[in-house]
Amino acid sequence: MSDIQTTLRTRAAELLSSGEVVEVIGWTAGRFDNQTTPAFITKAEDAESLVFNEYCVNTTSKFSLMERGLGKVAVCVRGCDSRGINRMITDNQLKREEVHLIGIPCTGMKDRKTGEELLKCRECSYRNPVVYDELIGESVTEPELNRFDAVEKLEAMDQAERAAFFDSVYERCIRCYACREVCPVCTCKSCFVDQLAAGWQGKRSNVAENKFYGLTRVFHVGDRCVECGECQRACPMDLPLMLLNRKMIKDLDLLFEAGEAGLDAEGTNPLGTYDVNDVEEFM
Amino acid sequence: MSRIGVFVCHCGSNIAGTVDISQVLEASKDLPNVVLAADNKYTCSDQGQQAIKDAIVEHGLDRIVIGCCSPRMHELTFRKMLTQTDLNPYMLEIANIREQCSWVHKDKEVGTPKAIGLMKMAVAKVDRDRPLFTMNIPVNKRALIIGGGIAGMQAALDIADAGYPVTIVETTPSLGGKMVMLDKTFPTMDCSACICTPKMADVGSHPNITMKTLSEVEKIGGYVGNFEVTIRERAKYIDYDKCTGCGLCETKCPVKVESEFDQGMGMRKAIYKPFAQAVPAKPTIDAAHCRYLNEGKCKVCSKVCPLGCINYEDQDKVSTEVYGAIIVAMGYKLINWADIYAEYGGGRYSDVITGLQFERLVNASGPTEGHIIRPSDGAEPKSVVIVKCVGSRDPEKGRSYCSRACCMYGAKHAHQYLDKVPGGKCYVFYMDVRTPGKGYDEFYMNTQHDGAQYLRGRVSKIYEQNGKLICKGEDTLSGQQVTVEADMVVLETAMVPADDADRIGAMLGITRDKDLWLSEAHPKLRPVETNSGGVYLAGTCQGPKDIPDTVAQASAAAMKVAILFSKDELESNAMIASSDPAICNGCGACVAICPYQAITLEEVEMRENSMKVIRPISKVNPGLCQGCGACTVACRPGAMDLRGFTDEQIMREVEALCQW
Ligand SMILES: Cc1cc2nc3c(=O)[nH]c(=O)nc-3n(C[C@H](O)[C@H](O)[C@H](O)COP(=O)(O)OP(=O)(O)OC[C@H]3O[C@@H](n4cnc5c(N)ncnc54)[C@H](O)[C@@H]3O)c2cc1C
Ligand code: SF4
Ligand code: SF4
Repeated sequence: MSDIQTTLRTRAAELLSSGEVVEVIGWTAGRFDNQTTPAFITKAEDAESLVFNEYCVNTTSKFSLMERGLGKVAVCVRGCDSRGINRMITDNQLKREEVHLIGIPCTGMKDRKTGEELLKCRECSYRNPVVYDELIGESVTEPELNRFDAVEKLEAMDQAERAAFFDSVYERCIRCYACREVCPVCTCKSCFVDQLAAGWQGKRSNVAENKFYGLTRVFHVGDRCVECGECQRACPMDLPLMLLNRKMIKDLDLLFEAGEAGLDAEGTNPLGTYDVNDVEEFM
Repeated sequence: MSRIGVFVCHCGSNIAGTVDISQVLEASKDLPNVVLAADNKYTCSDQGQQAIKDAIVEHGLDRIVIGCCSPRMHELTFRKMLTQTDLNPYMLEIANIREQCSWVHKDKEVGTPKAIGLMKMAVAKVDRDRPLFTMNIPVNKRALIIGGGIAGMQAALDIADAGYPVTIVETTPSLGGKMVMLDKTFPTMDCSACICTPKMADVGSHPNITMKTLSEVEKIGGYVGNFEVTIRERAKYIDYDKCTGCGLCETKCPVKVESEFDQGMGMRKAIYKPFAQAVPAKPTIDAAHCRYLNEGKCKVCSKVCPLGCINYEDQDKVSTEVYGAIIVAMGYKLINWADIYAEYGGGRYSDVITGLQFERLVNASGPTEGHIIRPSDGAEPKSVVIVKCVGSRDPEKGRSYCSRACCMYGAKHAHQYLDKVPGGKCYVFYMDVRTPGKGYDEFYMNTQHDGAQYLRGRVSKIYEQNGKLICKGEDTLSGQQVTVEADMVVLETAMVPADDADRIGAMLGITRDKDLWLSEAHPKLRPVETNSGGVYLAGTCQGPKDIPDTVAQASAAAMKVAILFSKDELESNAMIASSDPAICNGCGACVAICPYQAITLEEVEMRENSMKVIRPISKVNPGLCQGCGACTVACRPGAMDLRGFTDEQIMREVEALCQW
């Protein structure tokens, strides 16, 4: 990892001093040793402050949207970040030529509080970036895993158990919308929860309203979710947010062979596709 | 603050019978912003409408709710009424307390509270009504007809006779479709060609009709009154301006190909006119088979042509023109029975033929000059089995529907056979005999009197034994297995949609039903319209039918076009979608879901995070949008909204209902 960090600093300085990019998005040291924070480097001499270690927990993709209009920006991307970038291109939020992607294969990040590998990394099957302009470090082998383990447990519950489970989850939600803020698929300029005139979503934080938020969110993002797991990591209340997303992903794959989002920039919206040849059985 | 007037209709006893009108008035008068609640015996009558107009003036109403029948019934009536007042015609909501309330309930205990709930929703919605306006769209008074069968020709002639220019596009080298291939038509047994070819000639010579044969519609854009259509006329390799149709070239061409017109029962040349009365009455070169075009040697036709019409260098001509209306009349094809009925030999036995092949066989200008002979050895068949419903009413192997014409033309074939082969035996296997039509049942009865033996049941197997075709089946009336020896078998096969129907349907935004026929807008009340404005259906492309029904539908479609063309401008729909550029993030979800291709993304420069960025923003074409609302549901941030059914209005209705 220290090799990657060294190369990253060198390349960032080169990219900035040559004028190829106006900014490099990565990570820098945090207050503690086991902490990093997102970094936005604009001067070659500041490239030395870039950090890459097992505590680079933030997904970078969404940050590239904040910087649109500045000029070309370099973004450090692992598997999760790169899929987010692809999806944002599909969703017309970003143009491929607006970013220079520094690919970094990843071996998983650690939870600062427990020192254990993050859940989002344990459930990750794309540790290597799926798109990049240059690659730093050696590609790693992808792990064999069943990412629908938790979904299958959920499906095995009977209806009463499931209701009780979701009640216990959404009781805890404080509706801070951290999940929305970090999500590379939540790119609306104006979110339905903030639209008071239409009044889709009540402002009160209670189980019913919180569940409504959770369900609507999964319908808005589930068919395009790139499974970076950043929502779940960002949640201060530790809600298992990827569970519903993965349930949606699993079902869409079963029904429409929807596949996995963000593997390239050509993706579709399985929930929003109309085909005249869809048989109208109900007519 | 709005000033809402509520009007509740008794509709005689239609509503008042199961809804307590006084209670509805009582409940409505105190709803927010309601300044008047009144009832009327018949609101749609002149007096009823006058009462509303008077109340608008007297009470200074700025919007109204009418509790009455379905909006499909009288919404337009009441909108028209509002045009005679100072109110915008869209400041109106209808609460359907008849079809969705009084008619479905038996007593006032249930009907009354439901009517009150419906009124509350309408009041909540009308409070958020905004004036809506239409736009004027110019109408290009030129019609395009896709398909040159009897349906397309009839529609073309009617529109042309009404004085409007028509272009008719046909994929094959001649007009006529299936009808001109038929020998006689049931039940009158008039010669099909004798009634079809004069129509073909009329189409060919009508000053208002442009005929494009061997042509395809490649691209369709635009909307009602303004369709932009690209048509490819495939190369014919003959200069039609010079050619007189003498036919010398055909006689000398050395290449023989199975004739499509004769259904493979006869041959034609590589330079050919599909049949004697073809329109246009000039040959074309079949590029796939022409010896010169494939091997670079021959040119016999160009040597014999006295006028030098042959042009081997001819190219496809592609042109784009604007039309105001389109009629799809692309007909049907017959199901490929050989692929699905292995038990009938799957095409191995040459004496098992289709009904359409039989038509060519009995036709005096057909390959056998009208002699009924077996394709295998040219002998006259002494016994013939006719099998109906091959692929029809057979959900397992074919289609579940009835092909409608086969009962009748099956009887026709039996009659023709018995007429031409005295002493011949004819057996007809049938599921049912369906003869609804003028003179149809009499025709069927006569066929039985002629000696046709009807056996009720499906044929389960056909195989060859000692030069005979053995047909095994069940006679479900006697409950016995029957075996019939035949010299020839005629399969009356199912009609299925034409090959190109999915492509043409998709280009025009026409939906297809479960059997993949092109769908009409309403099965009873809008049988020739489609869900796309200015696009109509004629003939069998909409579903199986015989010639009388086809012609009736074609004339009906032509009439719809004439009505459209009677106006210089159309009013666009006021209740269409529009997107709010401040909210739209350009994701394109709406573009993908719109069934009418009404939405495009346009790049605009805007400021975000105090920086200039380019972002695509959705834009609705008001001529194309049909107001279906699909996009408003697909749009996650709710940027897309439907005028007259805004998200806010629907939420207010739901709220009103929840409080109820
Ligand atoms: C064996 C048999 C016997 C019958 N006998 C009788 C009878 O006695 N009496 C009776 O009333 N009915 C009879 N019918 C039914 C009759 O054939 C139909 O009702 C009639 O032909 C329907 O006409 P149409 O114009 O809708 O379709 P079609 O005749 O199929 O004409 C459609 C035309 O559109 C063209 N086309 C297709 N696709 C395209 C495209 N993409 N672009 C441009 N052109 C295209 C086709 O080439 C064709 O010329 C019989 C049918 C069969 C099979
Ligand atoms: S309402 Fe929306 S989806 Fe429907 S036709 Fe109009 S633009 Fe297309
Ligand atoms: S779906 Fe909504 S946000 Fe997306 S492009 Fe259409 S109007 Fe804009």
